Amino acid sequence: MSDVIKVGVVAYDPKVVTIWEGIKEYFTARSIAMDFILFSNYDAQCDALLDGWIDIAWNTNLAYVKIHRRTGGKCGVLAMRDVDVGFTTKVIAGAKTGIQSLLDLKGKRVAFGSRDSGHAAILPLYFLKQNGINPSQDITAIRFDLDVGKHGDTGTSEVEVLNAVIKGEADAGAVGDQYWARALTENLVDNSKVRAVWTSPEYCHCNFTVREKADERRFADWTNALLAMDYNKPAERKILEMEGLKRWVRPQLDGYRALFEAVDELRFFN
Amino acid sequence: MNYDSSISVDAGDLSAADRLLILVTRALDKVKAGDTLEILSDNASTQHDLPAWSRLNAHRCLGTVAHNGRWCHRIVKGSVLRMLTDKELDWGNHAPIKDGRFDTRHWLLGRAGEIQRTAQPSDGFAPRGASVEEGSPEFEFDVLERNRAWSHGAAEFYEQATAGHWDASRDIPWRELHALDEDLERAICQLMTFLAENEFSALYVPAKWIARIHPHFAETVLFLATQVRDEARHIEVFIKRALANGGGLQFSSASTQASLKTLMDQQDFVQASFMLSVLGEGTFLDLLRYIETHAPDQVTREIARRTRIDETRHVHFALDHIRSVLQTDTGLKESLYRAIANRASILSGMKGLNPLVEESLVILAAGGLSPDRLSSATKARIQLYETMHENRVRRLTAIGFSDREAEDVSQLHTPNFM
Repeated sequence: MSDVIKVGVVAYDPKVVTIWEGIKEYFTARSIAMDFILFSNYDAQCDALLDGWIDIAWNTNLAYVKIHRRTGGKCGVLAMRDVDVGFTTKVIAGAKTGIQSLLDLKGKRVAFGSRDSGHAAILPLYFLKQNGINPSQDITAIRFDLDVGKHGDTGTSEVEVLNAVIKGEADAGAVGDQYWARALTENLVDNSKVRAVWTSPEYCHCNFTVREKADERRFADWTNALLAMDYNKPAERKILEMEGLKRWVRPQLDGYRALFEAVDELRFFN
Repeated sequence: MNYDSSISVDAGDLSAADRLLILVTRALDKVKAGDTLEILSDNASTQHDLPAWSRLNAHRCLGTVAHNGRWCHRIVKGSVLRMLTDKELDWGNHAPIKDGRFDTRHWLLGRAGEIQRTAQPSDGFAPRGASVEEGSPEFEFDVLERNRAWSHGAAEFYEQATAGHWDASRDIPWRELHALDEDLERAICQLMTFLAENEFSALYVPAKWIARIHPHFAETVLFLATQVRDEARHIEVFIKRALANGGGLQFSSASTQASLKTLMDQQDFVQASFMLSVLGEGTFLDLLRYIETHAPDQVTREIARRTRIDETRHVHFALDHIRSVLQTDTGLKESLYRAIANRASILSGMKGLNPLVEESLVILAAGGLSPDRLSSATKARIQLYETMHENRVRRLTAIGFSDREAEDVSQLHTPNFM
């Protein structure tokens, strides 16, 4: 078996190559041999991890849950981004719709992102149910199933959700707080047309998944080097900025409970 | 920067989509990592927006409390730096503004006035005195040394240049043009052709160096930019004069082109400045005065007068620059001499000044080809060459060359004048 640690990464954008060339260079400088293998979708990456083609998968929360199920809970997790902790979904609503809470959504048109997006479809539908709204009866769901297979990574479906609410084609919609914060910062939001009205409980998003718990120790050097990346160092900052984080953190597995319940509730893998 | 560990901002009804984030960001800039910022708001959506924004920017949102119909958010500042630099910024300096005028000579304030011995390639295009973020790319400027690139006089010459700009379309009395004797008009057109080609080199040479001098030496770069602008106007006005009065552009000789090409080929800023401005443009001052003295028409006289004033500024800047380099670089004189000798050897096959130009100088002074005036006009032309040499020697001795050295350097100067 080769000593080179193979990390699977889904190429949701051309910049993924730039990011991972940078990360590979970072590890090479620390005498840790790693390479990255690109996949076009998370299903293929999950299969590759389980078949032993790759050692580590840079997974979305949904891909992690899938691996967890398929390994019977034996998989391990190495690390995640700071922004993968405390992730929330926002329900945004047209300013003139009168929607101020989740219950106000009853009878309304509600837009969701790609059906395999944890933050813009699966979890929001689950949270609605938790809060007494049956998505198949109480609301008219508008689906933007774009880039399916990439678990909402591309963000294109959230752009459509926001636009639908702005244009009045939907009364409300669900987006991840990461996209929402970006939209606010980049002046894509006109507060007289659209605003956030509800924030979901916090959950966790992406992580580096390994096949078994023992791999956490096996790849400890890799994980420690990753965690040492410093946003206040110029070369490392470039990589972290592109990947959208300030620092890597240890996994917080409690943050996946809601998604486990959601995929069961919605029979997502059935 | 003043830090305050407990700072509070009242954002009124401002939403995160309406610049609340700028207010919050600037307030966080004033506190240390770990300190808490309190934001009071009347806007309901802030309870959803601020936690999202805080999380993405690595600040910790402690939560929101509703109080008397308002929302109170508390954010703990994170430790990541917005700008990767630990250099303190200047603040509190005031420029000495006199009679409403802020002279460039007086802008050496605080760090903006600290001229480094060697400029940092990674300071790039940042203005001198700015705090440059780590990780900025290294620029490939190759004139980095203060004693090559900076001179005390540059700011003053820059001020003179910006005050002295004129408009070649408007400020020349073009309506005064009248028909001239054909031989005389042809001579003027030949001289204008010659002047224009020389001025092209006087534009391209400083333009080339602007791109190579580190922006830290801003005064030099800004002055050279005015020189480029001046030369553009000169090229324009000489071409216009050649075309304006029924004549046209005349011959450009291979020898002139060869001489000018050697100026472009120089690989050292100080040597190039010495050859172009001290020797070349210096010699042109006498040529332009000669044309002004002998021109038969008001338009040509005014063109020669105005361009000579600009060229005088270029010569004085270069003299000031070379003089200051000579004070610190003891080997410079020798290297300048070698460069001049080398150029002379490259041009040794050259026959001298383009004969058509030389004849035109005589015809100009004679007012045409009238036999009775050609003899005295030839004397005027000979006198011009002597004056050019004497003034070159005078300028060279003024910046520190001995009489003997000045004589040698002047003799080696190109017969093309520039």
